[in-house]
Amino acid sequence: MSERNRLRSLLTLVQLNGLIPIRTQPLYLVNLVASPLSFLFFIWIVSKGADLAYGVVGGMVLTMLSVGTGLQSDLTHYRHDLKFQDIVVASPVEAPVYVAGLALSELVYSLPALAVFAILFVYYGFATVTSSVVLVGALLLVWSFATAFAFTLSTYFQDVRETWMFSPIFSLVLTVLPPVYYPIGYLPGWAQIAARFSPTTYAAELVQGAVGLQPLTFSTATIDWVVLVAFTAALFVIAAFKARWKDP
Amino acid sequence: MGYAIRTEHLRKVYPGSKGGSAALEDLTLDIPDGRVYGVIGRNGAGKTTFVRIAATQLERTSGSATVLGHDVATEERAIRTRIACVPQESRPLYFLNVEEVVYLYLKLRGLDPAESRARTRDALDQLSLTEFRRRSVARLSGGLRRRVLCAMVLASDAEILFLDEPTTGLDPIARREVWEAIRRAIRERRTILLTTHYLDEAEALSTRLALFERGRLVLEGTPDDLRARVRYPYRVTIFGAYPLEELQSYGRVSPIEGGSLVFARENESRELARMALEKGLRVSLGPVSLEDIFLEVVGKAIDDETPAPEVEA
Repeated sequence: MSERNRLRSLLTLVQLNGLIPIRTQPLYLVNLVASPLSFLFFIWIVSKGADLAYGVVGGMVLTMLSVGTGLQSDLTHYRHDLKFQDIVVASPVEAPVYVAGLALSELVYSLPALAVFAILFVYYGFATVTSSVVLVGALLLVWSFATAFAFTLSTYFQDVRETWMFSPIFSLVLTVLPPVYYPIGYLPGWAQIAARFSPTTYAAELVQGAVGLQPLTFSTATIDWVVLVAFTAALFVIAAFKARWKDP
Repeated sequence: MGYAIRTEHLRKVYPGSKGGSAALEDLTLDIPDGRVYGVIGRNGAGKTTFVRIAATQLERTSGSATVLGHDVATEERAIRTRIACVPQESRPLYFLNVEEVVYLYLKLRGLDPAESRARTRDALDQLSLTEFRRRSVARLSGGLRRRVLCAMVLASDAEILFLDEPTTGLDPIARREVWEAIRRAIRERRTILLTTHYLDEAEALSTRLALFERGRLVLEGTPDDLRARVRYPYRVTIFGAYPLEELQSYGRVSPIEGGSLVFARENESRELARMALEKGLRVSLGPVSLEDIFLEVVGKAIDDETPAPEVEA
């Protein structure tokens, strides 16, 4: 398949799984705004507005992770219920194009949520060149590892109901327990160590540091980037070797 | 004549299968190109396993399989650009309309928009789907959904089409429209691997047939070859009373309402028909149907779900 055809396939998947379903059912767009805004509201109430800025950063991370959980459900549904993946396997479309296309289509669903948080990001005066670059970089890495993770898991699920069970756990472990919505210092010592096992801790720390919510030294920032990139790369390697494009 | 698909001692055991029983056992088969090749068999006979291995969707356990000269285990990419598949129990994406299903599939395969549009128009027309082109898949009957999937792969540029039970759920008229579209694809020199439960469909469309039972290839050849391989290649239907003992001397007898059905060899069947006519009875004589062959070879009807006795390959 030529690069041009790969790009055509990719964009077709965005149209097929993103633009057309949204045209058919615009409420899909509200769905991905609901969870992060609920958290934001909760933080606003509890902290009396003091920690709302953390909620903005956390909301963006959660939105990008939601792409992963949405992708996981779609991939499993398409694979088992519609046999769409089998149709695609027996065609010139390669697995990375299929996954990237569907992951991009999930990003379309999250655009309203990202727009809301981007407005708040600017409103809070966080939007400098450096903070914007850090934010985009960190969110892209979160989106990438969520995609690789979702694809690998989806190829092992036997039914879409398994993804419903897994998605809340995914959110809990990656966005609620790690210090995504609050400073890591709020956690007791042992929990801070546990939080270091979540890649979202590093993404949130980078963005919180870049916008001035938390002090961030050059060495800590370097470690955060290295861990985040390494984690993402590791998930891509796992996806390449363990995800089942062709059934065993 | 070349071969589209070739297998040698192909075997498939699904991971975790009870006692390591094979879904496909020692399959050696050459499928010629440019024809419809029918694969028939009961549920669990190994038809879909074979299709999925050839369509590069499923790993084989051992043996070899090549599609258009490429190994299914190591050269999937070369194969995938030249095949298209309607998997068993597949359904089109429900939020698309009929036209979008076909058009987007073609674009997904890398065809440019203008060609995709033209091919979509032709395929919808061929399968009498034009009037439904703007209708959402969610509002289609099960039969129409299958037809849309057939239109989708028939519209493609693939050289081999894998159609796994493509007409399940279709009414007789819709089935014949799919048959006609398949015949048109053959005129374009494409190869179609068709698995079906409908023996009339297999017989009407296939140049050659393979009969699978319990993961093994039991019979293979043209419909005439298959007839020649069974013990009684002719069927004589006699309406009216005829002494059973006399009938049994000609071949295998099955009682039917108002008469008897006798499976016999050619000479015996002619002789029996003549005798029955002399007795003033109504008679019909013809070659056995694929259903008769299936029943004789497997010992069960194709829709019988109970395990069959061991059969000789």
